[in-house]
Amino acid sequence: MLARAQLTAPLLRRESIGDAYHVLTFDVGKDLGAAPGHFVMVRGAEWGDAPLLPRPMSYLGGGATPSILIKVVGEGTTRMARAEPGEPFSLLGPLGVPWRAPGAGRRPILVAGGVGVAPLIFLARALAAGGKKPVAIYGGRTKKDLPLDDELSALCELHVTTEDGSRGTAGRVTDVLDGLLAEDAEVFTCGPDRMMAAVAGICARRDVPCEVSVETPMACGYGVCLGCPLPSSDGGYVYACTQGPCMDARRIDWSRA
Amino acid sequence: MSRLAVKVGALELRNPVLTASGTFGYGLEYDDFFDVAELGGICTKGLSLAPRAGNPPERICETPASMLNAIGLANVGVEAFCREKLPKLRERGVTVVANIFASSTEDFVAIAERLEAEAGVHALELNVSCPNVSHGGIEFGKDPRLAAQVTAAVRKASKLPLWVKMSPEAGDIVAVAKACEDAGADALTAINTIRGMTIDVDAERPRLANRTGGFSGPALRPIALRIVWDLAGAVSIPIIGIGGISTWRDAVEFLLAGATAIQVGTASFADPCAAKKVLDGLASYCEKKSTTAAALVGRARG
Repeated sequence: MLARAQLTAPLLRRESIGDAYHVLTFDVGKDLGAAPGHFVMVRGAEWGDAPLLPRPMSYLGGGATPSILIKVVGEGTTRMARAEPGEPFSLLGPLGVPWRAPGAGRRPILVAGGVGVAPLIFLARALAAGGKKPVAIYGGRTKKDLPLDDELSALCELHVTTEDGSRGTAGRVTDVLDGLLAEDAEVFTCGPDRMMAAVAGICARRDVPCEVSVETPMACGYGVCLGCPLPSSDGGYVYACTQGPCMDARRIDWSRA
Repeated sequence: MSRLAVKVGALELRNPVLTASGTFGYGLEYDDFFDVAELGGICTKGLSLAPRAGNPPERICETPASMLNAIGLANVGVEAFCREKLPKLRERGVTVVANIFASSTEDFVAIAERLEAEAGVHALELNVSCPNVSHGGIEFGKDPRLAAQVTAAVRKASKLPLWVKMSPEAGDIVAVAKACEDAGADALTAINTIRGMTIDVDAERPRLANRTGGFSGPALRPIALRIVWDLAGAVSIPIIGIGGISTWRDAVEFLLAGATAIQVGTASFADPCAAKKVLDGLASYCEKKSTTAAALVGRARG
């Protein structure tokens, strides 16, 4: 059973990667057992009434000093991007379903889009600890949208794509994926919905297993608010918080997502 | 804890702090956080006769010191609730207020009758005020005559204490409240959310798939408090105050305005222990002031 907990922990450090991306590391003081793919609800303990809701964030790293990678998109992430060491944060985690273990005899391929790289770096570290060096494809709009590419590069055999051609192959992750996808591959992907839908489509066509980590707006993080549904392939909904964020790509009806 | 005990009609609560329907699941999701049985009670997610999948995404959106939700009353249905959830709540000793909703008086009655057959339900809360479904209760909640009709029908079908949840969208909420009191309601819950909207400027579309959603959270609090004040002066049955209560001070405000008990709603999303913290804060306050929760009720009214 997961030792999920709600606790207040100070920010240990914040590292900026350009203006838009920051790594926040917290001093929790004990290891709550976060595994690659788990997420945490993050909120400044001194935010008062606004921003109101905690933000769901994939763990970039776990242990007693867990970290997250944020992209500044709104008020909550703007506040996080300005946080100084010592500032208290309320952390609720670990939550959700982590990445499944790669199948025996399968070669994992990690496909990341922008800030979606966080849970895949955590996974790559776990694979490296088991002596594996997976293939990774990392795409962004421009070379500025590839935070922590150096870290991924140290852990994986890395292929980079940018839409404007400012780094790596000009194009999208799917352009590279098609050529790398062998029969014994197994894909783990996290990024924008449209990217994951395209990756899931290729994997389905090639009959290769594909695991996605989804992101949706979320108020609670543990199955109560019911604010995080995704259309499921059986015609209903799957909830990102308790049935995800990591799940088999075939559970989602990408045509309705 | 006797300092905190309150009576809502004939129903005795160990304290006046409950959790609001739709913000606390079925009360079984909190084992890692605190003992839910310590609360005055929980109001379940709105229960319908058949299970409901809910609205398409996006269902929620944050707004200043508030949020919008258009969940669409997704729930397991009254049958699954009785079979899978209620026994566990009973085992834990939780005071359960079953929030129920339907699009017809007959269905309201059928749900009430189903719950009547079970031990462990302490009160019913009629949701005649959900803004997010096309044939939900809100039509009942806006019209005094319809509100009275559904209240009377459920009153006849069930011996359980009967609370009716008021919609702030009623043209004359005092008239609806009085009609429900006359029809046999034991208490009134005030208020449900009020419809709001937000538009994604980049996409030039409403953010919520349902276009509108129920507005809740701290920003709603002054409106809710004003309505509680008005209702407490107009009816003689107890009022359960709800609307943006996040801290014990907020809870005390509602008690002083005339609410006999309160519900913590959206605050539980920001902090799963919010209701427990409200309860602990209220306990310390009453201790320090050498007063009781019941003595605070309506004290600001002079």
